[in-house]
Amino acid sequence: MQVTNKFEFTIAEFSGPLDLLLHLVKESKMDIYEVPIEHITKEYVEFIDQMEEMNIDVASEYLVLASELIHLKSKMLLNIKDTEEEGEQLEFKIGTEEELRHRLMEYKRYKELSEEFRLLESRRGEVHTKIPESLIEYKEDVALNTGLTLDDLMSAFAQFLERQKFNKPLSTKITKKEISVEHRTKEIRDILTKHKRVEFFELFDEPSRMYIVVTFLSVLEMTKNDEIDIRQEENFSNIYIEAK
Amino acid sequence: MNLLGVLEGILFAVGDEGITLKGLCDVMDIDIDEAKDLLMQIQKRYENNEYGIRVSYLGDAFKLTTKKEHKDYYHKLLGNPESQTLSETALEVLAIIAYNQPITRVMIDEMRGVACGQIVRKLTARGLVKTVGKSKMPGKPNLYGTTREFLDYFGLASIEDLPKMNLEEIDEEKETELFTSIYKESEEVPVEN
Repeated sequence: MQVTNKFEFTIAEFSGPLDLLLHLVKESKMDIYEVPIEHITKEYVEFIDQMEEMNIDVASEYLVLASELIHLKSKMLLNIKDTEEEGEQLEFKIGTEEELRHRLMEYKRYKELSEEFRLLESRRGEVHTKIPESLIEYKEDVALNTGLTLDDLMSAFAQFLERQKFNKPLSTKITKKEISVEHRTKEIRDILTKHKRVEFFELFDEPSRMYIVVTFLSVLEMTKNDEIDIRQEENFSNIYIEAK
Repeated sequence: MNLLGVLEGILFAVGDEGITLKGLCDVMDIDIDEAKDLLMQIQKRYENNEYGIRVSYLGDAFKLTTKKEHKDYYHKLLGNPESQTLSETALEVLAIIAYNQPITRVMIDEMRGVACGQIVRKLTARGLVKTVGKSKMPGKPNLYGTTREFLDYFGLASIEDLPKMNLEEIDEEKETELFTSIYKESEEVPVEN
């Protein structure tokens, strides 16, 4: 029996120690119930040794089974009966040859079933389904369950639209931002040279917040500098601005 | 209102979640026999090769799927469907759970001779496996079982539909046909190995 490179597989190709053992049994071309334990133990241990020689990491599970096999084999060679080593019995899960064969058979059954599952998996992959339709729009009172009415929703939406209005000038104000108080002051001065007298609210002809603020600041500035007079005949009547 | 149309719409809407026979009865306000009759009618209609979809019974629920004879077109349509198939190990663990549920993780470990907590966790995250209770063993470990998604994933109608450990004949009753998944049927066609 040649020892080197007799295995074409590496440990990575097996899903566990039983998988490896099953493979070795298959290689021996013998039935699970016929293959001698000494033979299969030898093969198994040789394989593990070779893996370690090749510096391939062998998971501890494989070593556990190796020790189980060696234990079983030595027990059989020495012809020790189970009853004589009850204490030791607990440490090893496989006590008899039949137990080993039984475990192997059981594993083989699931191994074969998993091959069948692989087939089913690929067949299922041949047909497609779709994700469920979103039926959320048909769902009633998702969160409105708290005594709210349609009116509340409508007013909320109106508020939202109102906010949107404010958003618009804000987004276009980038150009208007350029307007400085000095610039607006000059504009107001020009208006006043033309008209002598102007209504206060007429100055706010653009509905942007920035424009309004800048205009108002300009008016305050001009008042402070004694450039203009602000007049109001009575409460709540029109305010007029005149150049001095 | 034509109930057949209603049924078709419902099957479309539920998509891959599908609908159980009972669910259908509740939604459509009909009894089980009526529902079965409608399902068989719609199934018969879709059999016609003018249609690209069919009614399948997967994971205890009726759902619409495409037809497998059109698979090549879907393959092209979806480009490179490097679909994430399950690993060898995952399939073994699933097989053990499927035939022995409810089962604890330690029992699975023993059957495979390898610890598989990681895989069980992954399968749980994928929705193929779920905890179905606690064992009375010391420490009260979780008991695991398969899900409806598991059945659908392998194209199985119900848990009885699992591949038999030793092959048995499928009986050919009309009603059985309704509950038979696509894959059982396709077994009648010789598959090349």
